[in-house]
Amino acid sequence: MISRLRLFALALVLPVAAIQAETTAAKADTDSVVRVNSTNQAFNFVRPWIKRQPFTRRGIGVILPGNRVLVTAELVANHNYVELERATSSEKSPAEVVQIDYESNLALLEPQIPGFLDDAKPVQLADDIRVGSRVEILQLESSDAIALTPGVVTTITVLPYPMDGVALLIYKLSVPLQYRDNSFTMPVFSGDKLAGLLMRYDMRSQTADIVPDVVISSFLQRAAKTPYQGFPRAGIAFAPTRDPQFRRYLGMAPGQSGVYIVSVQHGSAAEKAGLRKGDVLMRIDGYDINEDGNIEHPHFGRIPFSHLISTEHLPGEKLLMHVFRGGTDFDLELSLEPRDPSTVISEPLIMDKAPRYLILGGVVFQELSRSYLREWGADWKNSAPPRLVYLDEFQDELPADRGKIVFISQILPADTTIGYEDVGTVVVEKVNNREIRSLEDVAEAVKNPVNGFHKIELESDPGTIYLDPKAVEEGAEALKASYGLPALQNLAR
Amino acid sequence: MTRLLFAVACLLAASSTAVQAAPDILRKSLVRIQTVSQDPDIAVPWNAGRVGQGIGAGFVISGNRIMTNAHVVSNARYIFITRYGDPNRYPARVKHIAHDCDLAVLEPVDEKFFEGMQPLELNGLPEIESTVHVYGYPIGGERPSVTRGIVSRIDFLPYSHSGADSHLVIQIDAAINPGNSGGPVLQDGKVVGVAFQGYSGAVAQNTGYMIPTPVIKRFLKDIEDGHYDHYVDLALTYLPLFNPAARRALGLPDNGLGVMVSSIYGGGASDGIVKPNDVIVAIDGMPVASDGSVELDGSFVEMNEVVERKFKGDKVTLDVIRDGKPLTLTVPLDGPFPFTIYANTYDVQPRFVLFGGLLFQPLDQNFLNTTSINNSRTRYYFDHFLFDDLYKERPEIVILSNILSDPVNAYADEFQHAIVDKINGVPVKTLNEVAAAFEKPADYYVIEFLGAGRPLVLEAEAVAAAHDRIISRYGVLKESNLQP
Repeated sequence: MISRLRLFALALVLPVAAIQAETTAAKADTDSVVRVNSTNQAFNFVRPWIKRQPFTRRGIGVILPGNRVLVTAELVANHNYVELERATSSEKSPAEVVQIDYESNLALLEPQIPGFLDDAKPVQLADDIRVGSRVEILQLESSDAIALTPGVVTTITVLPYPMDGVALLIYKLSVPLQYRDNSFTMPVFSGDKLAGLLMRYDMRSQTADIVPDVVISSFLQRAAKTPYQGFPRAGIAFAPTRDPQFRRYLGMAPGQSGVYIVSVQHGSAAEKAGLRKGDVLMRIDGYDINEDGNIEHPHFGRIPFSHLISTEHLPGEKLLMHVFRGGTDFDLELSLEPRDPSTVISEPLIMDKAPRYLILGGVVFQELSRSYLREWGADWKNSAPPRLVYLDEFQDELPADRGKIVFISQILPADTTIGYEDVGTVVVEKVNNREIRSLEDVAEAVKNPVNGFHKIELESDPGTIYLDPKAVEEGAEALKASYGLPALQNLAR
Repeated sequence: MTRLLFAVACLLAASSTAVQAAPDILRKSLVRIQTVSQDPDIAVPWNAGRVGQGIGAGFVISGNRIMTNAHVVSNARYIFITRYGDPNRYPARVKHIAHDCDLAVLEPVDEKFFEGMQPLELNGLPEIESTVHVYGYPIGGERPSVTRGIVSRIDFLPYSHSGADSHLVIQIDAAINPGNSGGPVLQDGKVVGVAFQGYSGAVAQNTGYMIPTPVIKRFLKDIEDGHYDHYVDLALTYLPLFNPAARRALGLPDNGLGVMVSSIYGGGASDGIVKPNDVIVAIDGMPVASDGSVELDGSFVEMNEVVERKFKGDKVTLDVIRDGKPLTLTVPLDGPFPFTIYANTYDVQPRFVLFGGLLFQPLDQNFLNTTSINNSRTRYYFDHFLFDDLYKERPEIVILSNILSDPVNAYADEFQHAIVDKINGVPVKTLNEVAAAFEKPADYYVIEFLGAGRPLVLEAEAVAAAHDRIISRYGVLKESNLQP
């Protein structure tokens, strides 16, 4: 009898305890978030001398310790003016963007009015999110009441981020989200801790992509140091080693894991470490790499090994790589560093600064960037000029000292360019016998005409065009006036 | 299924002269051509391909010959011709065919076909705005049809049959109807053109095209030696010279003459003779205007038209200014036509090599007409094959076109449509080299693709073990075809 009673008692107590745990757990709070209004204005890469129509984005920033507010970079991309608004009091303060990182789609803001966040409740980062964790997405009603929508972490993986295309860790949530006016940046909470920021939501499948706490943590650690350094990357491409014929050809033993290194970028951390094309990378940072390039992470399960390099370590740290080459295996030391922007031929994303250009008598010179190609819309890979798309896509195969690719993007018809109206987008090789590797080279070259003419040599048809330096100079003001050009060049980096 | 071949038709109301002339032409000169054709199966290249039927028109010309369009009799397996008022069907064969200018000459197996028939004569270029009559077998009925239009313009335009050639054409103000193809266009009882294509735009109206007699006569002259050669071409591009600074920089007077050579296609007629930045001021002694036009037979035509009228083995002289000095260059017109990779080809069998269930084919226009390629490197190589001089290093773009799935190639999917670069360390630049590389005995066949990173490795033993299995499972009739 006694034992049965005990059983009864336990059965009663358990659900009560569960209910209590849920109601007493700390929750996200309106004092921990702030409305962010950002008026942004994008640049136009096809007409690089103008800015597009301004627009406003709204989002909910998360108040972090140290008087800072965390938002997605997308919310404040190309910002002209950023404003914070307390959810509780509707007080406003202009804000400064103190750090922005388009790789991880994160930005840090700071109010310009002292004491603006003094009575706020700063948030700590969660560190216990796993597949299956329950989290809540925070939105604000127009009444400033808090709206929390629960969701479940269904997947943790590494995927390309929307802005820069760099692949970093992502939490995927299954969550039935309703539209409210704050659409850019929604915090995701685990209790009263920040699990991440929502950056993409698919209405049909009701799934959300979250910038996770671990990526935010890496960003904050690097933001604490000047100069800011981006996410470290090895600079390699690899292929799987699942194919048994390929494995036998490489001399890999049965059960031996690892990936085949397909390319090592010039000047990359991997090249400095001594990794070569054709190596099999078996292990990194103590983790075995399987035939597809995944590791078994103690928290996140099976994820690509690149997460270890980009997010679990900081620039300057060293990782051990175990490599199989020519029948033997050995260790190499990878010293982590972010990609050196000076080695990038075609920049993947240009934000917060005006596109560079130079106009010479109606001939418009620009440097190739993916931001330029993206002006052709979502299908830019098929609709942008094919030669430029090719140079962008396969830029790693160009010589390391190639410099920038300068091309004629358009001709503004004028007296100086008569007969050149049909010249399309074409890569510039030389101007006045000087090799062109940047717009600065063009600016320098036009100081020294050849035999009294500007001689512009092109990679393809029409081959060579000439301009009259005197006519170019005399027509400059008229060209500016007739096409509404504020300046004939912008060489600011 | 019978398809009516694409062509030109005009709305009628025949003039009084035509009313009298028409019955004679319909009875004695117009020919109905029915073709059974078999287009190759590019995706399964050992298969014989689908059989189809088409109807077009033709007409009797001198020497007991029948003139029609190349596209009426392309890929023909069996042709029979009929004449007005005669129930007999006469088998015929192609004597000469020119896909680059869409013309062909047929002959009946039995010469009796010509009894009572009357050949038509060729005339010159008709005047703009003059009336012409079109004869053929277009849709809308079974019997021969006559329609009328006027000459709208004379122009230099692409011929859609090959897709890569442009020649002189005459536009007439007629709606377009399939079945007119190959039919004669007459003025005063003489041929002034062969109806051949329409304008496939929703906006254009009454736009039909015929092949004018300079092109027809050139074709007939070319085949006089019993063999048709391709059109000849200078194989260069040029920049019109309107720009005053460019003219002065090149040391040219302000006389409205001369164009600047931009690029020369390697292996073409001008390669090694003409150079980029040469200024062409005259062609065969005729001054070249700064927009590239010359005056020929009283009208201004593009400079190319001078070369168009020549034949393989002829020469053309170019007066150029090179580095400020005048120079006369003689270009023998015997180089290969560089644009064939972009031309639709006919009457050839697809070339391929099958190895370990991997199908290798050279990339050409015929392949792209049936298959879309998402591999951006491969697409770039095709699109820029000439313009970026890629052909100099690689005469053919050989790709892994298809995979007959089997354990031996279970991990090859990532290489589909990639360009083969090396096999066992040896560069392979043509399909024949690919075939030869696979014939060399080896333990491993290591296939490297352009930009693919990892090689595809096939073990010779595994390939041998898979051979019979793949051949029987996929019904492979032939493992390679290296001859066109």
